[in-house]
Amino acid sequence: MTDGRSGLRLKVFAALVAFMFAALTTRLWFLQVLAAGQFRDLAKQNAVRLLDIPAQRGRILDDDGNLLVTNRVSLVVTVNKQEAGSHLEEELYQLSKLLGVPAEELAERVEDPRYYVFQPVPVEADVGKRIAFYIREHQTELPGVAVVAEPVRVYPEGSLAAHVLGYLGQISPEQLKDPAFAGYRPGDEVGVTGVESQYEGFLRGTEGVIKYRVNSTGQNLAEIGEQQPVPGQDVVLTIDTEAQRIAEESLNLGLEYAHGVFDSGTGRDFQANGGAVVVMDPATGAIKALASAPSFDPSLFVRSMSTGEFERRFGAANGYPLLDRAIQGLYPPGSTYKPFVLLSALRRGIVSTTDYYPCPPSWAVPEDPLHEVFHNWTTANLGSITLARSLYDSCDTVFYPIGYEYWRRYYPPTEPPVEQIQRDLQAFGFGRPTSIDLPFEQDGRVPDAEWKSAIHKQFPKSFPDGQWFPGDFINMSIGQGDTLVTPLQLAAGYSAIQNGGRACVPHIFLRAQESDGHVLHSWHPRCHRTPFLQAQIEYVHQALTEVPVQGTAASAFVGFPFSQVQVAGKTGTAQVFGQQDYSWFAAMTQAQGKQYVVVALVEQGGHGSTTAAPIVRRVVEGLYGLSTTQFTNGGVTD
Amino acid sequence: MDLVATKLYVSKRRPLRHLDPVLLVAVLALGIVGLATIYSATHASLVAQRIDPGFYLTKQLTFVTLGIVAILVAASFDYRFAKVYAGIVYVASLALLVLVRTPLGTTIRGSQRWFQLFGFQLAPSEIAKLALVAMLAAFLSGLRSSDLSLQDLYRATAIAAIPGLLVFLQPDLGTSIVMVAILVGILVVAGARARHLGVLALTAIVLIFGALQLGLVKDYQIARLTAFFDPQNDPQRTDYNRNQAEIAIGSGGLFGTGYLNGTQTNLDFVPEQHTDFIFTVIGEEFGFVGAIFVLLLFALLIWRAVRIALLAKEPFGTYLAAGIASMLAIQVFVNVGMTLGIMPITGIPLPFVSYGGSSFLTNCVAVGLLLNVHMRRLA
Repeated sequence: MTDGRSGLRLKVFAALVAFMFAALTTRLWFLQVLAAGQFRDLAKQNAVRLLDIPAQRGRILDDDGNLLVTNRVSLVVTVNKQEAGSHLEEELYQLSKLLGVPAEELAERVEDPRYYVFQPVPVEADVGKRIAFYIREHQTELPGVAVVAEPVRVYPEGSLAAHVLGYLGQISPEQLKDPAFAGYRPGDEVGVTGVESQYEGFLRGTEGVIKYRVNSTGQNLAEIGEQQPVPGQDVVLTIDTEAQRIAEESLNLGLEYAHGVFDSGTGRDFQANGGAVVVMDPATGAIKALASAPSFDPSLFVRSMSTGEFERRFGAANGYPLLDRAIQGLYPPGSTYKPFVLLSALRRGIVSTTDYYPCPPSWAVPEDPLHEVFHNWTTANLGSITLARSLYDSCDTVFYPIGYEYWRRYYPPTEPPVEQIQRDLQAFGFGRPTSIDLPFEQDGRVPDAEWKSAIHKQFPKSFPDGQWFPGDFINMSIGQGDTLVTPLQLAAGYSAIQNGGRACVPHIFLRAQESDGHVLHSWHPRCHRTPFLQAQIEYVHQALTEVPVQGTAASAFVGFPFSQVQVAGKTGTAQVFGQQDYSWFAAMTQAQGKQYVVVALVEQGGHGSTTAAPIVRRVVEGLYGLSTTQFTNGGVTD
Repeated sequence: MDLVATKLYVSKRRPLRHLDPVLLVAVLALGIVGLATIYSATHASLVAQRIDPGFYLTKQLTFVTLGIVAILVAASFDYRFAKVYAGIVYVASLALLVLVRTPLGTTIRGSQRWFQLFGFQLAPSEIAKLALVAMLAAFLSGLRSSDLSLQDLYRATAIAAIPGLLVFLQPDLGTSIVMVAILVGILVVAGARARHLGVLALTAIVLIFGALQLGLVKDYQIARLTAFFDPQNDPQRTDYNRNQAEIAIGSGGLFGTGYLNGTQTNLDFVPEQHTDFIFTVIGEEFGFVGAIFVLLLFALLIWRAVRIALLAKEPFGTYLAAGIASMLAIQVFVNVGMTLGIMPITGIPLPFVSYGGSSFLTNCVAVGLLLNVHMRRLA
């Protein structure tokens, strides 16, 4: 042990140390408790200004690596007010002569409040190289004026797949408040629709930043740090450029052709004002083509647009070209619905593949005192036919009794109600979004009693009936009434049939990668089994192979080499109140180890065999490398 | 020597039971605080550079592991050997301080203070700090008289002045301040009179002014010194560091912005944040409460060191422990004080918390020696 004096000295020592700690604690208390608010403000409006270095946005590629969207450099003239100082006015006058923009206009642009005093303000974009050289050569006479290269989106394939790709726009005030857009600032470009919006997170990259120390007037004192930007990832799509091209071409040719076809129902040629084509790989859900007409040029969105111009280009007069009809258009499916209705009826034991069913020109509910008559699409009596023939000849009067049987099972309503057909149709994916990785997809509609009463309460004028009738089931059995689907939903449903009952979520994303090809994220197919018997699905599929051979689409497929490419399909002619018929065709194809489901829809395009079936035929020919046929009259079968 | 050996034998079986667990827990807790804050200070900029965000964390984890080994090794032998070998170690450390000025040493950021050894950087000034503690303890405990004469005081000062000056010339003002603090601390405990200490301080001031007048100190060294003590002289860098550090700590408030949530930290406003300015991370992200907690850990550490000095069996142990307490206390005070704006900015790391191997290992050896003295207080 140490002696007492040493102990005393140690206490002196300890007191010195305690004094030091007391000093630190006092200062901490001052900084963190008394002056905390002031420092919090200082931390926010730090004496450091950050200057962003934009990150190169990722490119968008097709499944073969062909560029669909990339960036180009636009030469932008910027003016730094602070550096220009007293020369500003004179410089703006010179620039005005150079750029052909009035000096007053330039002066207004320089005062844009979005920019800091010390920040260069872009006054004109896309200037020519000649102007850029001139400014650089005369740098000493134009202090504060600079020409910088800024990236803008460019579309090597023009308007191809415009709806899928989407476009960019300035971030909206609502988005800026959204925590999902944390880190974005006013004026930032952000994906508005399509892949640009859906995969914004991959494409955007991380901005770099240069840190400047500035004084109270915003004068730049020194650069104190720099962080390099991280470029956005390239997004590779399942889209096949060739398939997309043939789909768009065929759709447009089909519309054009329909414009010259006379519609006896309305006494004038078909309007054919819009349409969609979906090409999907049924085994994985990969979308190979997604076309919507009318289309638009995405490069228009590179510059700003006035409200009037926007309305003129994208409004009603042009048929709302921004609408992606493949995933946002809602249409009654008509007879293309029948395979799914029949699979439900088989599953529920309403009909049997071994029996024969009458196909008269019309049918009425036996107990109906009003004797409301439901007609077949043809006035011919086809006699007793198999279920297979009821599909390939699309006999409505075989399906009406099926619909009525669902009513008998439903009525009187129980809790929960017996709505077998709705459950089965939903199992195929109808009535809800397919979950494709594109924004703004529509739900479609599988109506039921509950929906009908709710919509009636909400919109009593548009939906005058709130009650569920036998006719609702009967209409549903032929894909009419309140039933609505998107072309994509129908493609997904047919994919499940082609796939033997296995349904896959449609998708457009293949992978995200760095510009050197290093893969960072990839897609994994999401598939599940539907509750339908394999044998029954095969029966329906087999029946549908007869449609283009001897059924309702035979006229559209005359001369098609079925020995080379197997095609099964279904026509549909959907009735829309007050409009010409909507033309549908859905095909399931297989050859050369490849399989595709192709769905075409043409608004006011007539019968399924008239417009949609020839479109699908041409797409199928293109997909399998067959020589394409000209559009000929596909006939007027359902 | 025989006597010592016998004692060694006797004490060999018992010391482990007399470990100081409180001291060990405090050191370990500081090490963990260090790991967490180093990650917070570095992960954002590492991610931005596409480097593993745990890069510095993993390296520091290695230093912590080595540090534990260093504690055990430094505690394992009888510390009284240190008294015997203190002179040799001291002279060797002076030799290294001279050697580092030759082309053998490496210059980093204008300061020549490192040896490059097998990919590691060895700073002889770190060794010199501990050697100085041991040398002063050995010298003062070897004195006959229990009262310290002015002559002994000058001798002790000379012992400290040689390495102190060598380090100052590197230039490493921080370590020379630590050496002065070691000297003053040990002198206080060894019984130097207040009057004598006053004379010592006066002499120092006179000598410094004389050196300036005679031109023994070069212009750039004066400039550096004045920059240290007068931040207005170098507004570009020093002032910026100080302001950013204060804003970081002040904006933390009472409870902090939350771990990994400090804007000053994540946006890299504070320079050298994983090393010298690590306390700003604690201040910003854990607030007043967290900063006080860390200061309490240091207080606990130094209290145990002073207690060990008090409990030591003989004067050498007392002076050794007091010197170490002094060394740790001044490092904490100068480092934290600099982040709070009440001390000049010098390159002193925060013990056990700042990123870096040299200082961590030196401080661990010091803790090992403290444990050593504590374990053998009865033997």
